[in-house]
Amino acid sequence: MERPLIVAKNLQKRYQMGEVTVHALRGVDLTLHDGELVVVLGPSGSGKSTLLNIIGGMDKPSEGELYFDEISLHEADEKALTNYRRHQVGFIFQFYNLMPNLTAYENVNLAAEIAREPFNVDELLEQVGLGDRKEHFPSQLSGGEQQRVAIARALAKNPRMLLCDEPTGALDLATGIQILRVLRDFCDGFKKTVVIITHNAGIAQMTDRVITLRDGRIDQVQVNPHPVAPEKVVW
Amino acid sequence: MLWRKMIRDIWSNKGSYFACLVIVIIGLVAFTTFSIVTDNLSRAQETFYREQNFAHGFVELVSMPESNVQRLVQIEGIKDINGRIVKDVRVNAPDREESVYLELVSLDLSAPRVVNDARLLAGTELVPGNLEVWLDNEFFTVNGLELGDSLEIIAGGKIREINIAGVAMSPEFTYYLPSEADLFPKPEQYGIAFLPLADMALIFPELEGRVNQVVFTLEEDAQYEEVRDRLIPELEPYGLIRIYPRDDQLSHLMLTEEINGLKGVAQAFPFMFLSIAAVILYIMLKRLIEQQRGQIGILKALGYTNREIVLHYMSYPLTIGIIGGLLGGLAGIGAAVPMTTLLMWFFKVPEVPGAFPVYYLLLGLLLSVAIFLIAGYSGARLALGLNPAEAMRPPAPVLGKKFFLENWSFFNTLLTMQGKMAVRNISRNLGRSAFLFLGVMLSCALVTVTWSFHDMVDKLAFYQYEEVETYDARITLARPAASLPILREVAGHSQVRWAEPLAEIPVTLSNRWREEDIVIIGIPRGSKLYKVLDVEGREIPLPEEGIILSQRLADKLAVTPGATIELASPYLRGGEERVALDVYGIIPQYLGMNAYMEISALSRLLGHDELATAVMVNVEGEGAIGALRDDYRESDLVAGVDGREEQIRQAREMLESFGVAVYFYVLIGVIIAFAIIYSASFIVLSERSWELASMRVLGLTPQEVFSVITFEQWFLSFFAIPAGLPLGKAILHGLAAQLDTDMYSVPTTLTPDCLFMGVVITAFSIWVAQRFAYRKVKELSLVEVLKTRE
Repeated sequence: MERPLIVAKNLQKRYQMGEVTVHALRGVDLTLHDGELVVVLGPSGSGKSTLLNIIGGMDKPSEGELYFDEISLHEADEKALTNYRRHQVGFIFQFYNLMPNLTAYENVNLAAEIAREPFNVDELLEQVGLGDRKEHFPSQLSGGEQQRVAIARALAKNPRMLLCDEPTGALDLATGIQILRVLRDFCDGFKKTVVIITHNAGIAQMTDRVITLRDGRIDQVQVNPHPVAPEKVVW
Repeated sequence: MLWRKMIRDIWSNKGSYFACLVIVIIGLVAFTTFSIVTDNLSRAQETFYREQNFAHGFVELVSMPESNVQRLVQIEGIKDINGRIVKDVRVNAPDREESVYLELVSLDLSAPRVVNDARLLAGTELVPGNLEVWLDNEFFTVNGLELGDSLEIIAGGKIREINIAGVAMSPEFTYYLPSEADLFPKPEQYGIAFLPLADMALIFPELEGRVNQVVFTLEEDAQYEEVRDRLIPELEPYGLIRIYPRDDQLSHLMLTEEINGLKGVAQAFPFMFLSIAAVILYIMLKRLIEQQRGQIGILKALGYTNREIVLHYMSYPLTIGIIGGLLGGLAGIGAAVPMTTLLMWFFKVPEVPGAFPVYYLLLGLLLSVAIFLIAGYSGARLALGLNPAEAMRPPAPVLGKKFFLENWSFFNTLLTMQGKMAVRNISRNLGRSAFLFLGVMLSCALVTVTWSFHDMVDKLAFYQYEEVETYDARITLARPAASLPILREVAGHSQVRWAEPLAEIPVTLSNRWREEDIVIIGIPRGSKLYKVLDVEGREIPLPEEGIILSQRLADKLAVTPGATIELASPYLRGGEERVALDVYGIIPQYLGMNAYMEISALSRLLGHDELATAVMVNVEGEGAIGALRDDYRESDLVAGVDGREEQIRQAREMLESFGVAVYFYVLIGVIIAFAIIYSASFIVLSERSWELASMRVLGLTPQEVFSVITFEQWFLSFFAIPAGLPLGKAILHGLAAQLDTDMYSVPTTLTPDCLFMGVVITAFSIWVAQRFAYRKVKELSLVEVLKTRE
């Protein structure tokens, strides 16, 4: 693996929930590299979403340091974080988060419009197999199709890193595998970093590295020297 | 427990509820203030009229023996009757720039019940024979006079000294306008002096034992028209000039119109505001229920009944209604006191102490609660349809649809993605879009109309003095006279550059049963000093015969050019009672209601040679008007010299106080636009927070995200604002129809200036409201919003 893309040192995150302080992250040290497909595993409440939000520039750590390509993010202001999300990160959510009143094409174009070197929207939709459904609105698409639009949208900006929060969580097995195939191809084809968080351990088989979170800390990191093809994954 | 939930829900959305509350309060303040003021004013009017025995009928005649007046009391229907002498005199005030006039009104101290009795406010009773007077309160105060002071008046060519014994007010002069062409009272220049009838004869020896006015009150069930018809034959031998009912009396007319105007405001205003607030609240409640589907499901699952849930959601509008009703009502009661005082200052009516108006407080409260409960119930009903399991599931996804204009490819290429989202959102919630549209339209119309009041008042006053009457000064004659010798005399004055005669003749014009008492203005053909202008402002040459009517007069007589009408006048000579004449043209007139004729034609028609009642002059040199005044001060024939500049200055001063009121109304328009846009933005923000947060995650800046909302609002406003302009025009027409009186007509043209201001001010309020809402977008917590899948 080459130079680190993300370096996190002693990341901590505390939330104030009424009178209780919740420690979502209790000190996470982590390094991610270009072109790596990483899965973060852990039960609910283990802090995986919080970690993803912080890495993605949606949230700030309470303590600790975070660098993207050697630029510090833990000190960045709102404007810098917006800029970071705009150009470096693509997000994929469990529930797709598409704009209901934009068509598939327009949803992808919404992202392409703000990027510096966007991918071609039509080609992206072809790639995710939606070339003939471009003019459909989200309500006219199945869950798998919507998630593929969401992936195309995340990719359209040509980001350095793709962050996926339970991308297959709402999908059946066959559709989930299609999605994982697209993610694997993106990672290998463009040498981009992909982080998937899930509580689905099956997905770990296809990734390069498996990070397990427990109670706000990294429990273990396993390197997978022989990731299997997404089609072979079972859960 | 649910109460606590309600209070927290309201608190978490306090901005929108606050906007709603502000509108309710404005509406109710208007309601209570104007209702109470109307009440106070009409009660004061009633009391004052009753206590001072205010006349139901007024008669002006050349003169009749005083002893004959009491005989008229036997006419069926007449309760009390008094003869009196009313005369205008000039005050000898050489140090004053402008002429000062007093209207001398005699009081019959010997009569048991004096009709139009003056009420003494300070000073002593009048003692006949001492030339003592009671001055009207306003003239007395404004001119800084003291009891015991004396004034010099010029009457019958002689200077007389009168002594101020007291200060008084009379129901006849609650609003004193020196002439029908004046808009505002000028208390420093025109006053009333009450004095014993006996003393009048000392000042005007020719009127010894005679009167020139008769005033009477009616028995309870008597009809004015019948009494008038019985009176006319009795009065005719004495040179009856005019007989008119209380309804045509100037002061009563103004006061009654003001009361009716206030009543109208008290009804229309709150209705408008409460409706807007109710719609905002309805939309917010509907939104709240959509948002709280899950909670409603849980409540239902817990066993709460539909009734309890609807009641819970009704408690929101109820709370706002009660708070708004109480605050608005109390503020309104508070505002009523200074407002009453202000009006009492304007109309000289003694204040009647009123009880604390609990009635209006309760009525306002009831009104606001009722309207809100209706709005609330319409909104809360939506919660009923849900069954628990369904309620806990998220609502079906919104169907995406293209906006109809998007089929037009040119339009399409103009739009960014945010633009597309925005225009599609318009059709996504048509009801709300319509509300936003109507709201913006209404506030634009309001701002435009109120701004146009500036123009309107300006036009009312200045059109007359700057376009129509363009002389430097007018020399008013004490009585109509042959114009040639006077004109020769005045034109010969060293400082007069140009002089023209003017005749103002009281007449009755009739078209079959329609009849109007007005003043005909006679002007020389091609006059340089008094212009007759058409709607476009072009000068109309006066015809050799025939009459030109003002628009309102023509409407009242129901005539058009070419029609024939009849004229009667006390100045008509030749034994005939009426003469026929043709209507030549119709012109706009904003101040007063007159008719116009060529002066020679008018004189011929009346059977006189060259009659004049005033001379208009253009002067040259410094202090020319003062010089004219000095030179004619003691002339028996000259009643006064008035400079036009002075009149314009006074009008301007008076209008400045109106300016403040205009800004107040403009502010209300701004508040409406603000509240609508602000609450609309808030609802959109809460409804689409998830969508907007998703865009933020994509890396769009807060501005870019907010542009989806602002684009939608601007897009709607782009059509709503221009739509507000014709609405404004319609409102103005409606207002003009309401406000038009014989005193003045309201011009209904909206100038480009005020259209421009309407657009700018509305756009600005929208912009400001968006700035406030924008802060919410910046505060949007991405993590929080995205955690919950809607």
